[in-house]
Amino acid sequence: MATGIGRQRTLVTAVALAVLVGSLALALSAPVQAAETPRRGGVLLAAIGADPPSLDPHQESTFANIQLVAPLYSTLLQFDPLDSSKIIGDVGTEWKVSPDGLSVTVKVRQNIKFHDGSPLTSADVKASWDKIVFPPAGVRSTRKAHYKVVKAIEAPDASTVVFRLKHASASFVANLASPWNVVFPKKYLDTDPNHFKTNVVGSGPFKFKSYTRGSTFEGERNPDYFVKNRPYLDGYKFFISPETSVRSAAVRSGRAYIEFRGLPNSEVDAIRKQLGDKITVQEAPTPGWWAVSFNNRIKPFNDERVRKALTLAIDRYTMSKVLFPLTGLREVGALVRPGTEWAMSPAELEKFPGFGRDIEKSRAEARKLLAEAGYPNGLKFVMKNRNVKLPYQDFAVFFIHEWKKVGVEVENRPLETAAWFADGRDTGNFEAMVDPHVDFMDEPDLTLVDFISSSSTNWSRINDPQLDDLYERQSRTLDRAERKKLVNQMESIVLEKAYYAPGLWWVRSIVHWTKLKNWKAAPSHYSNQKLQDVWLAED
Amino acid sequence: MATHALPHPTVTAPLAPRLTAGDELVKFVRTKPLGVAGGVVILGMIGVALFVQVLAPYDPYRADYTAQFARPSAEHWFGTDEFGRDVMTRIMYGARIALFVGFTASFAGCTVGAFLGVVSAYWGGKVDLLLERLMDVLLAFPQLILALAIASILGPAVQNVVIAVAIPIIPRAARVVRSTALSVKEHVYVEAVQALGATQPRVILQHIVPNVMAPYIIMVTAQLGSAILAEAALSYLGLGAAEPTPSWGLMLSGSAPSYAEKAPWIALFPGIAISLGVFGFNLLGDSLRDALDPKLRRG
Repeated sequence: MATGIGRQRTLVTAVALAVLVGSLALALSAPVQAAETPRRGGVLLAAIGADPPSLDPHQESTFANIQLVAPLYSTLLQFDPLDSSKIIGDVGTEWKVSPDGLSVTVKVRQNIKFHDGSPLTSADVKASWDKIVFPPAGVRSTRKAHYKVVKAIEAPDASTVVFRLKHASASFVANLASPWNVVFPKKYLDTDPNHFKTNVVGSGPFKFKSYTRGSTFEGERNPDYFVKNRPYLDGYKFFISPETSVRSAAVRSGRAYIEFRGLPNSEVDAIRKQLGDKITVQEAPTPGWWAVSFNNRIKPFNDERVRKALTLAIDRYTMSKVLFPLTGLREVGALVRPGTEWAMSPAELEKFPGFGRDIEKSRAEARKLLAEAGYPNGLKFVMKNRNVKLPYQDFAVFFIHEWKKVGVEVENRPLETAAWFADGRDTGNFEAMVDPHVDFMDEPDLTLVDFISSSSTNWSRINDPQLDDLYERQSRTLDRAERKKLVNQMESIVLEKAYYAPGLWWVRSIVHWTKLKNWKAAPSHYSNQKLQDVWLAED
Repeated sequence: MATHALPHPTVTAPLAPRLTAGDELVKFVRTKPLGVAGGVVILGMIGVALFVQVLAPYDPYRADYTAQFARPSAEHWFGTDEFGRDVMTRIMYGARIALFVGFTASFAGCTVGAFLGVVSAYWGGKVDLLLERLMDVLLAFPQLILALAIASILGPAVQNVVIAVAIPIIPRAARVVRSTALSVKEHVYVEAVQALGATQPRVILQHIVPNVMAPYIIMVTAQLGSAILAEAALSYLGLGAAEPTPSWGLMLSGSAPSYAEKAPWIALFPGIAISLGVFGFNLLGDSLRDALDPKLRRG
């Protein structure tokens, strides 16, 4: 009996303690929950690293474009802002892949209005995607090659879009969520497909307010946004400066609440030291790397021995140690992100030119190859670059110092963003060019497209039928293990023939004021830029 | 007709002995100690620039990744930068670019300006009117803003910096030289040689140009300091030399703003070098102006 009473007391005590702990936890958590209730109002201030060549995301591939205009537009599908591994709808509400994988049907949400008041229908979606996949003459579509699989796009009724594919594709649905493929109103495209290079009419959470080149870009809340009670913010105002120190100072002083692209770790540490818990730092391993493109069409870069010597001269493992604190470039890898399911192992990678661990041996081989190619005393060339400090300049400096060790003298020539794209992507007016490749997801269809002859992002002007064939085959292969083999084969050819000199993969450190809520750094700095769910705890 | 000589009293006065170049130099040293200090700084800079390969302890491009952000020490007097490059070596090599841009831009700008000034003064009329209005247009822009605009059109490169810095100097030199040439042109001896049938090029080259050399030299030295400062400013703004060239302005802009807290020597020493260089040229320029301008000469 006594034991029973004792047990009962113990039980009561335990229940009482549980209630007490529960109450305390509830009491303590209440203010936290209250603080985390989204707050309406405020203007998000951010610092952006460059001006875009144009405002049309279909035609551009720089953060300077998408970070400014993404909040103004909608896309068919999107990556979940709070979980980038999930695809969710935006203008599209549901999507279905046919059993044979040859068509994808997307239902389009009704009652969406563009900022000019006109309704958004499947005809607008079709017109926008036609512009991306089948651009008319005189209109650039930067990512056209990503959608080679598309045979036709149909809009059978106002709320349905059907993509007919040439073959089943493992990456197509994810590609529908590309942040670049915004929906434009058809009526403007009908009159001028280049209309949106200089104009903005979207259906996104914010409306265009103003843009002063080299200074600021502003958007204001769209009261008719199709997602109820969104956005939380009254607007956004972005300051533009290519100087890392200026953007960093803007974050420190509170003139900017965030720098979306990422700051070097040295700056991050200094900001953290000064502002403590007023700021939050998010680290995002990014599907993007920095590299050097050689113009394979011209001398001396049409000589494999020269290209191989130039890639052999780079000590990538030391580069990782040196550049990570300065720029955020860290991972040594090939053409797909190291550590992902498509990547080759470090041991496999070390067999390729420029990836060996014995740098002195590599340099000796580089000198030998240069001599064989007719350059026993080294060579000189100009490497064009973008005039954005982070990480372009430090990356170029490392390469130039390394090349100097094998007798190669290189002049670094920084260009303004538009000129850099024009010379690199559009005209091939360069000998060598600092050429990063950043995607919005880890997907070989996106990553490897730079190395096929028909791609508009093939800056190196590579023309290798073997690569074209492997790209097609990997894109069609649904078996992942088989596809990995083809992907690695393609990488092997690019590395062995040294068409291109990969540098390092990027790990971004994004600093933002803690009062900026509900924004999660996506792997890519192109994604999660619509800001529809972001709010400010205080102004 | 009777002629007779007028009484003509002869007045003789002892001429001051003509000073030799050595005497002039001694006089300059005695009377212009600040100018001498400026000259010493400039001679030091020129010496460093000429013999940098012998004097510099390291290669300016030698990156020592084991010594990034090293503090000033016996090994690296001015410390190292983010790539472990010796800051002192890069400042010494930077003197070459500063002097190259300073001298070439100042010399080219002043020479073109002086030529236009003499032409404008000598011919006068519509030529003068046209050239002067052109100079007005160029003078309407602040010197650095005009250099900035030209550099942004030409693109970032050292030779473009020379052009960008030289052009704004042209109207300033043209104005100063024109005013001197206008007064020289009215002198009796110029009228005399013209009456004797001297050709225009001869009048200009032999009789006007030598008399406008003093303001020309003053302009060249006076503009040197601002040319060096303009080079530093353009490089700082990303319109001058590009990384990894050892340029003072670039050293200040490249890594200094990011790492000034962590490694203040990265910003401090290039800043001192720019200040010292500009200070030296300005002191010398002022003293030369005092020494060469007859209105300011004493005794």
